Amino acid sequence: MISKEDFEAFVERLVKEDHREVVGVQEKGDKFVFDELKAAKDLRLDYDVTILPPKKYFMPQRETLVKYKVKDGHKAVNEITPRIILGIHPYDLEAIRQMDKVFSDTYEDKNYLKKREASVLVGVNIENVSEWCFAGSMGTSTIEEHYDLMLTDIGDKYAIEIGSEKGFELLDEADVMEASEDDISAVKKKKEGVKEKFEKKLDLPPEELPILLERSYGNTDFWKEHSEKCYSCGSCNLVCPTCYCFDVKDFNELTLDEGERIRQWDGCLLEEFAIVAGDENFRENRYQRYRHRFMRKGRYIHDRFGDIACVGCGRCGSHCVPDIADPTEIYNDLKEVTK
Amino acid sequence: MSGKPKAAFFDLAGCEGDQLQIANLEEKVLDLINIVEVVSFREIMKEHSDDYDIAFIEGSVTNDHLAERLEEIRENASIVVGLGSCATIGGINSIRNSQDHEEVKHRVYGDQADLFPSWDKAKAIEDVIKVDYHVHGCPIDRDEFIHVVESLVLGKDPEIPNYPVCVECKLNENICAFERDEFCVGPVTRAGCDSCCVNEGTICWGCRGLIDNPNDDAHSDVLEEYGLSAEEVMKKFNLYFGWQQEARKDE
Ligand code: SF4
Ligand code: SF4
Ligand code: SF4
Ligand code: SF4
Ligand code: SF4
Repeated sequence: MISKEDFEAFVERLVKEDHREVVGVQEKGDKFVFDELKAAKDLRLDYDVTILPPKKYFMPQRETLVKYKVKDGHKAVNEITPRIILGIHPYDLEAIRQMDKVFSDTYEDKNYLKKREASVLVGVNIENVSEWCFAGSMGTSTIEEHYDLMLTDIGDKYAIEIGSEKGFELLDEADVMEASEDDISAVKKKKEGVKEKFEKKLDLPPEELPILLERSYGNTDFWKEHSEKCYSCGSCNLVCPTCYCFDVKDFNELTLDEGERIRQWDGCLLEEFAIVAGDENFRENRYQRYRHRFMRKGRYIHDRFGDIACVGCGRCGSHCVPDIADPTEIYNDLKEVTK
Repeated sequence: MSGKPKAAFFDLAGCEGDQLQIANLEEKVLDLINIVEVVSFREIMKEHSDDYDIAFIEGSVTNDHLAERLEEIRENASIVVGLGSCATIGGINSIRNSQDHEEVKHRVYGDQADLFPSWDKAKAIEDVIKVDYHVHGCPIDRDEFIHVVESLVLGKDPEIPNYPVCVECKLNENICAFERDEFCVGPVTRAGCDSCCVNEGTICWGCRGLIDNPNDDAHSDVLEEYGLSAEEVMKKFNLYFGWQQEARKDE
């Protein structure tokens, strides 16, 4: 346990003294983002959802992989900034757990994994629920592991759960006290209470998604109808905490004797995403790309890794300008038409 | 092309803002002339030659005289590159395409209007000749220009994004115009500017032109759903869409 006052002092000390960069959730206009903390008072642990998930710290939007000079040859690049990340919601922690799996499965992606290892994840239980969020239906409104520390706001203090050695060490400098029986039951109540707060809900248990999607793959009319207004803008991919696709490009300097290879976030909704060598696009139509995302989230990743790759953060729905990307609407409609 | 390719810069009806971007490359201008030989560039040199491989053309086509000049350039050059919105999509010049021509002429030239024969529509250069590559934007982005030149010299196709500005908006973690009760043509506009206008808190006006396969029917519907009438949509975004709308109508 730590009083809110002591917590702020603790964060302030981290910002000023810790050698690592301290990032946390802050306001951006009337939205929230993860960004470098300049002062502890900027931290907003009562946020609803951030525009981008904290994934950007392990897999930056744009990242240099290789630098080359004609004279000296290639050099692999991995810019690692050790970080303490404050205020990650449970659904985003679950997404990070899934990403860790993806990036270490068949190929160990050092650029992701090294950054991930150099980070301390401090979670916080959800205080305010975004109107688009349906973590309650996905079993991700709370999480019992896969964090270094987990905070719960219980009035004038935070309860702190320790999830790892890294988290324990971070607390070295904090004025913490033992939790009382009352504190423990307050945390429990908080976690149970949050489940009731979500307005958006899935009408089926997530475990049924793979089967439902398999059955409805061929329902072309359904996918066409729902994707009619799709811009193929990729926003639904780019804000998603479990999307991990990227595009690799080479850039030369004007001198032509040096350059770099970068990777940038990509998304399967974008028209050129599925163009393979020979210029053939195997998901040429808008509806095919649109369908693909739902198939990935609810079925393909499940077949491959055993996870439902949607953690219910609701970002895709909230960022889709024509408002056609909300997974609860699609999955619920699908259930309705697929008897 | 053997040896250093020769490059020439031309301006039709435009403000020369794009050539200025290039003249302002500063130390990189030296790198540029290391890989191409610039034989004609009014902004920075007096000499001129008609012996060139790559022609960079700024500005839109607004009369017969410019169209003839353009055709000559096409004959001389093996690669033609459009520079900036006026050249690539008609740009600012095409605002007048939906206005009364006589009125426009009088506004610009007053009583002498009849001395300046001009078409009633401003056209993108692609409407008159075949264009090989486009450097979009109003004005163009210097880095993208460099990327195009360097690709051409290496004999590669330049990588110009064919996805909408929304992609860059997301990468920059911007608050979407639609969430600020504003409107935006970013969802149908070609990215490549790093969503710079939205980064500054405004909206995308579409200066880089449409992506190859925009869902523009949906866009009018969507804008209407957000409360803008079709007429207002036209008015608001005519700034850069005048010519494109015409051109697509004819398809
Ligand atoms: S579903 Fe929405 S967010 Fe996704 S690509 Fe289509 S328009 Fe963009
Ligand atoms: S395939 Fe599509 S849904 Fe899956 S991770 Fe890539 S971008 Fe995201
Ligand atoms: S699919 Fe949508 S709701 Fe699910 S994790 Fe991705 S962004 Fe969040
Ligand atoms: S502000 Fe415009 S370009 Fe940016 S995401 Fe919104 S609609 Fe797309
Ligand atoms: S944001 Fe839109 S208007 Fe601004 S530079 Fe980019 S394409 Fe042009």
